[in-house]
Amino acid sequence: LRQEQTNLLQGTLDMMILKSLALKEMHGLEISRRIGQITKGTFQVKPGSLFPALHRMEEQGWLVSYWGESENNRRAKYYKVTSAGRRQLEAETKRWDRIALAIIRTLEAS
Amino acid sequence: MAFAHLTSLLRNLFHKQREERELDEELRSHELLLADEKIRAGMNPQEAHRQARIELGGLEQVKEQVREIRAGHLLETLFQDVHFGLRMLRKNLGFTAVAVLTFALGIGSTSAVFSVVDRILFRNLPYPQDNRLVSFGLLAPIERDEFMLGSSYVDFRREPGPFEAITSMNPGTTGCDLTEQNGIRLSCALVEQTFLPTFGIQPLLGRNFSLDEDRPNAPRVALLSYSLWTSRFGGDPGVLDKTVSLDGIATRIIGVLPSTFEMPTLSAVDILVPQALDEAQQHRANPGVVLRTFARLRPGLDVPKTIAALQPWFDKALAGAPPQFRKEIRLSVRTLRDRQIQDVRLASWLLLSSVLAFLLVACTNVANLLLARATGRQREVAVRAALGAGKRRLIRQSLTESGLLGVFGALAGSWFAYLLLRLFVSIAPQGIPRLDQARLDARVVIFTLGITLISTLLFGLAPALQIPALDALVGKDVRATPHNFLRQTFVSAQIAISLILLAGAGLMLRSLWNLENVRLGMQTENVLIEDVSLAQYRYPTPEKQLAFFAELESRVNRLPGMMAVALSDSLPPSGRMRSTILAAIEVAGRPLFNEGTGGSVAWRAVTPSYFAALDIRIIRGRTFQPSDLLANEDPIILSETLALELFPTANPIGQQLRLFRIPGPWRTVVGIAADVKNDGLATQAGPEFYLPWKNDPVESLNEGYVVVRTRMNPKAVAAWMRAETSELDSTLPVNIEAMSQRVGKLTARQRFDAMLLSLFAGMGVLLAAIGIYGVVRFLVEQRTREIGVRIALGATPQDILKTVLANIGRWTMVGSALGLFGAWASARLLQSLLFQVRAHDPSLFGLALVLLIVVVFVAAWIPARRATRVDPMVALRYE
Repeated sequence: LRQEQTNLLQGTLDMMILKSLALKEMHGLEISRRIGQITKGTFQVKPGSLFPALHRMEEQGWLVSYWGESENNRRAKYYKVTSAGRRQLEAETKRWDRIALAIIRTLEAS
Repeated sequence: MAFAHLTSLLRNLFHKQREERELDEELRSHELLLADEKIRAGMNPQEAHRQARIELGGLEQVKEQVREIRAGHLLETLFQDVHFGLRMLRKNLGFTAVAVLTFALGIGSTSAVFSVVDRILFRNLPYPQDNRLVSFGLLAPIERDEFMLGSSYVDFRREPGPFEAITSMNPGTTGCDLTEQNGIRLSCALVEQTFLPTFGIQPLLGRNFSLDEDRPNAPRVALLSYSLWTSRFGGDPGVLDKTVSLDGIATRIIGVLPSTFEMPTLSAVDILVPQALDEAQQHRANPGVVLRTFARLRPGLDVPKTIAALQPWFDKALAGAPPQFRKEIRLSVRTLRDRQIQDVRLASWLLLSSVLAFLLVACTNVANLLLARATGRQREVAVRAALGAGKRRLIRQSLTESGLLGVFGALAGSWFAYLLLRLFVSIAPQGIPRLDQARLDARVVIFTLGITLISTLLFGLAPALQIPALDALVGKDVRATPHNFLRQTFVSAQIAISLILLAGAGLMLRSLWNLENVRLGMQTENVLIEDVSLAQYRYPTPEKQLAFFAELESRVNRLPGMMAVALSDSLPPSGRMRSTILAAIEVAGRPLFNEGTGGSVAWRAVTPSYFAALDIRIIRGRTFQPSDLLANEDPIILSETLALELFPTANPIGQQLRLFRIPGPWRTVVGIAADVKNDGLATQAGPEFYLPWKNDPVESLNEGYVVVRTRMNPKAVAAWMRAETSELDSTLPVNIEAMSQRVGKLTARQRFDAMLLSLFAGMGVLLAAIGIYGVVRFLVEQRTREIGVRIALGATPQDILKTVLANIGRWTMVGSALGLFGAWASARLLQSLLFQVRAHDPSLFGLALVLLIVVVFVAAWIPARRATRVDPMVALRYE
């Protein structure tokens, strides 16, 4: 059960990162703020989970990174979704929809 | 995805530093961006930076987490260990070279020996479920392999008792000729229709012959061997249904055997043809022809159970056998492997166990070297432990270094194994079954990897587990007593094993010497043998065959430098010769001998100069004369043993004999020849008689030997003989060799065993010497200060030498005692391999012990002498 839970959470974080990056390329802090904004503060992504996730996703080929300038002219590492990443987002979204639907039905049934 | 993983793995391995820098930068920029954000929100810059750092959490932890995520983490620490290990090995090249070389010798010898004995002892025979295949039938004193007689076999095969399937073949292979354009000499085997199915062999192409094709007078069909198919027919599948002329008979090819096919008798064969056994005729001819019989056991029935099940049938069958056979015949069922390897099993185990013993010596030597080095590195390891290297990591590091030695040793060892294998093949081309097939193939490689792993653990674990205590940091020279004890135990073990190997080698060498110096009863020096095998289709009648031999003999006789030229149909001391049984010899004026067979009696047809050519002494009477070759003369010459058996008291000369229980002529004994070994070297010469080689064409004689004694250079004579032969018949394969070479082949296996054992014993003693040298040198170095003090206090060099040597002497004594005990116990197992040597020969054991002690003493004395030259002033200031 525990394994599934973490998988679910990990999958969720990946999905939220991919979703945020789908709009535009961002650096780490922007991604973290964006997720906080979308979820209205439900998820506060800490660097300790954000950076390992970003590096892992980069290794899996879903993201690519490059060095760029932030709005206030600081050097920052930007991440960009690859086509593999987009496919992953699609797959994850579908899977998530299915799970969500199933959960809703379960709740309604009882 | 897999590819992305791989590239990131490589990236991580090779761009380690850049990645690390980038991660650093990324996190720093994140921190700054956080601070910027807070400043914009109105926080003062100093506080903003502090808050940002707090929010980022432990920077190192984040970094570690990212690193952990990355692929190849484990690989990287291994890489580190290997890198470090290689550096240590490079730093100490002398040590590395000795360790790798020692290990390579051990691994190489073991692999090479394994590749030889694996074929004999372990590897499956090329038949499905080979452990259920047996050779069965009767054994008689005159026959060492199972056989059945035609008349009883044709009855037995209707009701094959406890067997799942049985089959038969005619003994041996026969020469046959492909009589077409460029006809060639082939070897044919006559087998029953059930032969291939019983052995579970599927033809590669075509089919097995049918029952109808295996009947007498059926149109002839044949199966080709794979090598004949590829060499003669170019591997053309269209060869099926082709008709070829085999010994002048039109024969249809119906199949091709797989390349893995081999005869259960291990003889080389080119063509299988139906045996076409005539049942009615076998019954009429009772007992009929001799057949080699094989069977497949029913699942669940082993050999003893099968023998028990066969016994009633055997008893019944024996009741009908000729009375003289009844006493001496017994029933036998042997696994096919046992039949094939005969008496080589014990020798194979001997070689395998002696090479493993040698490997053990090599491993203890490497372990000793590693231990010595570990003592030297105590301080370094202690520093690393103090700096936080875990015990596990240190053991892993130590094992990695041993592993590297193992890898290099195995690589060098494989090369050594290849060389050894070539040496083996050159020593014993025919002595060892399947030696020609021995290869360093996948199976041997896996075995090599296995023993490398085990050996590496053996010699790597001892130093790995000796993680020093932190005291070593203090810098005092710690007297590592457990090390010393372990090292000296290793030395004792080496001495013990070396002594066992030496004693074994001594026994085998002594036995070989006895065998090679056995009195043959003839002189083999300056004798050349030409082996002539005439093709049936070119010499179809006895007249033509005899004419060829006569012409060849007279041509060779005209060559210069000939002392004697003779013809014979067979040659001692072993090989195919004609034989009969004692009971078939009828002495004039005496009743026929009816108690059993009396054993077999060999006989040869020879020309008069045969005895001169081989220098066989005529003890009484005379040799054959040219006049004996006339049609109405029937002389016979007996060997000394046969003469004694037939005429224990009377003078044999002039006695009348009749042979073979046929109404032939009465023959007059004209001479008694000295015994000549005729059944191998190790056994007593069997009874034998000689008949004159007559030019009267009664029976086919397509195989014979020209025996030449010459005073000329044998090489030149051989070339002349070759030229004369091809002038007579250019298609004839010419096979000339020295008689001494021919006899030498008989000891090929013993020579192989003895040489290998001596090689391992020699290398074992050498390694033991190196080990002792190392230990004594190490002890002396460790005790330099102590020795210095002693010398300062007035000890003489002799006193010092005595102290050092006394120490090693104790361990030598323990090792020698163990070794003597081991040698004593294992020698008993060797007894059956020895020829005229007692397994517990005290002089050989003593010699081995003295030799070993001398070597040990020299190996210990060289470094011990250093101790006597210690300058007390230098020693006391040491370190």
